[in-house]
Amino acid sequence: MSAATTDPAGVNGPAGPAPVVIHRQRFRGLRESLGRFSTRTDGLVGLGILLVFAVLAIAPALFVGPLETVVTATGGVLEPPSMAHVFGTDEMGRDMLNLTVHGARISMIIGLLATVITVAVGALVGIVAGYSGGRLDNALMRVTDFFLVLPTFVLAIILAPILLDIIGPEAELFGIRATLLVIVLVIGLTSWATTARVIRSQVLSIKERMFVDRARVIGSGSGRIMRVHILPNVVNLIIAQAVLTFAFAVFVETTLAFIGLGDPFAPSWGQVLNAAQSAGAPGLGAWWYIVPPAACVVLVVLAFTLLGNALDDILNPKSGSRR
Amino acid sequence: MTEDAAVPPAPPESAPEQPEILRLEGLQVHFPIRGGLIDTLAGRAKGAVRAVDGIDLSIRRGEILALVGESGSGKTTTGRVVVKLTKQTGGRVIFDGQDVSGMWGGKALRPYRKRVQLIFQDPYETLNPKHTIGDFVEEPLLVGGRDLSREERQRRVLDALDAAGLRPAADYAARYPHELSGGQRQRVVIAGALVMDPDLVVADEPVSMLDVSIRTELLRLMLDLRKERGLTYLFITHDLAIAWVIADRIAVMYLGRIMEIGPAERVIRHPRNPYTQALVSVSPSPDPPDEEGAAKRTILVGETPDAAHVPPGCRFHPRCPLAFDRCRTEEPPLFDVGGGQQAACWLAKDGPLDLPIIDAVEAVGGVVHASGEI
Amino acid sequence: MSELDIRSNRKWPMPKQAVPGAPLLEVEDLSVRFAMRNGSVKAVDGVSFRLNDGEALGIAGESGCGKTTTALSLVRLLPANGRIRSGSVKLFGIDLVPKTEKQLARYRWREISMVFQGAMNALNPVQRVGDQIAEPIEVRLGASRAASQKRAAELLDLVGIPKQRAMAYPHQLSGGMRQRAMIAMALACDPAIVIGDEPTTALDVMVQAQILQLLEQLRRDLGLSLILITHDLSVIAETCDRVMVMYAGRVAEEGPARRVFTAPRHPYTRKLLLAFPNIHADRRTLDVIPGQPPDLRNPPPGCRFAPRCAEAMDVCREVVPPEVRFADGVRVACHLFPVSDAVAGEVPA
Repeated sequence: MSAATTDPAGVNGPAGPAPVVIHRQRFRGLRESLGRFSTRTDGLVGLGILLVFAVLAIAPALFVGPLETVVTATGGVLEPPSMAHVFGTDEMGRDMLNLTVHGARISMIIGLLATVITVAVGALVGIVAGYSGGRLDNALMRVTDFFLVLPTFVLAIILAPILLDIIGPEAELFGIRATLLVIVLVIGLTSWATTARVIRSQVLSIKERMFVDRARVIGSGSGRIMRVHILPNVVNLIIAQAVLTFAFAVFVETTLAFIGLGDPFAPSWGQVLNAAQSAGAPGLGAWWYIVPPAACVVLVVLAFTLLGNALDDILNPKSGSRR
Repeated sequence: MTEDAAVPPAPPESAPEQPEILRLEGLQVHFPIRGGLIDTLAGRAKGAVRAVDGIDLSIRRGEILALVGESGSGKTTTGRVVVKLTKQTGGRVIFDGQDVSGMWGGKALRPYRKRVQLIFQDPYETLNPKHTIGDFVEEPLLVGGRDLSREERQRRVLDALDAAGLRPAADYAARYPHELSGGQRQRVVIAGALVMDPDLVVADEPVSMLDVSIRTELLRLMLDLRKERGLTYLFITHDLAIAWVIADRIAVMYLGRIMEIGPAERVIRHPRNPYTQALVSVSPSPDPPDEEGAAKRTILVGETPDAAHVPPGCRFHPRCPLAFDRCRTEEPPLFDVGGGQQAACWLAKDGPLDLPIIDAVEAVGGVVHASGEI
Repeated sequence: MSELDIRSNRKWPMPKQAVPGAPLLEVEDLSVRFAMRNGSVKAVDGVSFRLNDGEALGIAGESGCGKTTTALSLVRLLPANGRIRSGSVKLFGIDLVPKTEKQLARYRWREISMVFQGAMNALNPVQRVGDQIAEPIEVRLGASRAASQKRAAELLDLVGIPKQRAMAYPHQLSGGMRQRAMIAMALACDPAIVIGDEPTTALDVMVQAQILQLLEQLRRDLGLSLILITHDLSVIAETCDRVMVMYAGRVAEEGPARRVFTAPRHPYTRKLLLAFPNIHADRRTLDVIPGQPPDLRNPPPGCRFAPRCAEAMDVCREVVPPEVRFADGVRVACHLFPVSDAVAGEVPA
């Protein structure tokens, strides 16, 4: 917290003492939160698991080589786990470990994109509705409620083919094919409402606080207040919500792919499970086809949930730092 | 190092020749009570909360006017109207000769907000916990659209913090609210009000939440600032004793109206309205009462009724130990009782009258009940 | 009422373990420590006082001086990280400090009860007020539902709440009414001592006067003893027989209210009195007490007020001032009044 002069050349003139720069300890709050986080076993476990999967998702080829295809399959058909193939092989002879690790990437990317949409829309609606109140709030909340009560999967099943038709099956964005884009959109559409509701109720209590009054009294407009005063006080909640949404998104994607709405060329875990189903793996007792991807989904969802809950507890602005 | 915070005699700037800086005429703030579905369909409002029910007030430059009242008196709402946080439903607000009653909207209000500022009551809540002290004090400059350079803004921030007694200013500017004590935070709030160089400061219970020994420092600071910067204060408080120490003039409010107004010495020593007299008599003092002392207190019966059910006639009459027939039917205006003092009471109609002390319970004849019912 | 009268007029028999002839309440050398994240705080450090039957004692001081902690430790309602480290709290000669929670139940609310600050926080918002008053009677005294309701109605009448308001919920009552309800609750089991922690602080001045008048009336009629904790010296001046001024966990001065307020000895008491605006005095001045109360994690050695005291001497900064008792019943802990200078004929405490 030391002051330092910013005007060594005396550019601003000799009058008075040199202007002083105010060093801001902007991240002190962050450091404190990190400190508290380090005591939460659940959060640390979740974070650890996620980091493992994140690394795998970023560079799967580093660990298991390129994605095996039918052509490059290395093993025999439906071989149980062995030294050569730790998780066995699928019905086309592809190494299960290879598939599982590559699957991480698809699942996580979809999860990430869906979360970004969900949280961006949800937070925007939540803050605007919560702060504005009155008719705008009412209108937005009615829309939100509508989306809130729609059953996710039913909506997904209905929307997916429709959206696919609209976008066209050949479309591609950032190397992600249309089918996956549709899934991202569907998850976003069905999840934003919860986030919006949660953020809105926090905003409702924040906007009653005296510092918002003060901002108004000095003439701040609504836009500025929402940006500068409300948003920083809900960021923590947004982060916690994002993490939980991520878990949900991965889970939904898996399910959708499992029931056949995924992209057969992008083997996410759900897609692998779908393939396992089609290949009759359960009947054939080929457990190694099912367990690895399923276990990964469970682990990732669990990890996000643990992390999200820990973050929620820590970052939640409960403490108003009373005397 | 005892430093007396003696209230200086009214400085030359606030002599009667000084111009008026604020005038409220017939100010009224009614909040409608929304009825149920049937009422809404029938277009009926269910009545109104008459928070401020017609008050006239004027403050001269350099003056400190204390607006004193209990909860429900409308004093805070009046303050909010002056700083344009709440919209009046009737009456006029005239600032420095200009009628600003109809002035609303961000852009239109900018020049007004530069000149009229508010000091809030709760130093723990007024500061956004995510912002530094420097952010807080700088914000009015960013919002005011003054197009100041960053260096100029920083300079003003540091000046304001320094003027509020927070030194070294640069040190404080980098800190967060939770690192500061209550008294320090309130100084920050004051700095935030000073940074725009206002003419009029509305202070809403600025010291009520602070420890006794800190209050004195803050009050002294406010007095010093008046002298140095020619500030005018509208000082809102429920504590008559604080008003006694700091104010040039005192206005006593009850249920949305001014019951009495005048120079501090006159209102406190020679109240002409029974409500004022009762308030003064029960104002606690650290001198232990002697035998007569106990009898000199006029403890009123019941509590202030809520502003949705204002009694007819003089609104104080149900609890007034001196009420008579006229009080129950006609609301008295403010009568001049000499020396710049005015009282809204039929007893004051024919000139100043020293009010007798009457046992309120006996006079009103009953046991304590809520909302003035006997 | 004399002490004998009060004790013989008790509604319930004296506790079995009571020591005959013992004073109502005697606190000796009480110390309370709080365990915080970065150190422990000795919030109360060697506080002693006595309360007699029918007496009203005011404990005054600013925030952080330890007055509330002292009160809470009398009924053992300290927060989880607080602990009584040493000292004794003797009710009728029975030391409550070593008692277990279960044993304390005999005394809590039945001999000592408490009126908290901010009734809204202490009242259950979803339970009717009348029921909340009847509850301790039923639970602690084992009375029947009908009997407790009847008693609750009596209590409501006693504190000035009309019978029809008994069925109201707390949020339907005004601030003053709620505080009266809290007082009724505190009186439910006919305690000997009622502790009021800032009972009138959040109230309007007129309501405050009403509540204080009520407390005074109850004290006279029921032979109640009061411990009133507040930062507001004026409240104590009006209602209490004796006052104890605390600073930074220790007692600065204690004695008959009249004496302490008209002729304060301790520099802190003197400054504190002058810092209160007095509407009935001619002066319109206020004194400043420079500086801030000490950080109790690391209190200054010697007298804790020394850093802010205009009259501090070298010895003040090094040696804790011993308590000295004067002939007029006032105790002071200040080196300006050394033991050797105690009024002749008086034994220093």
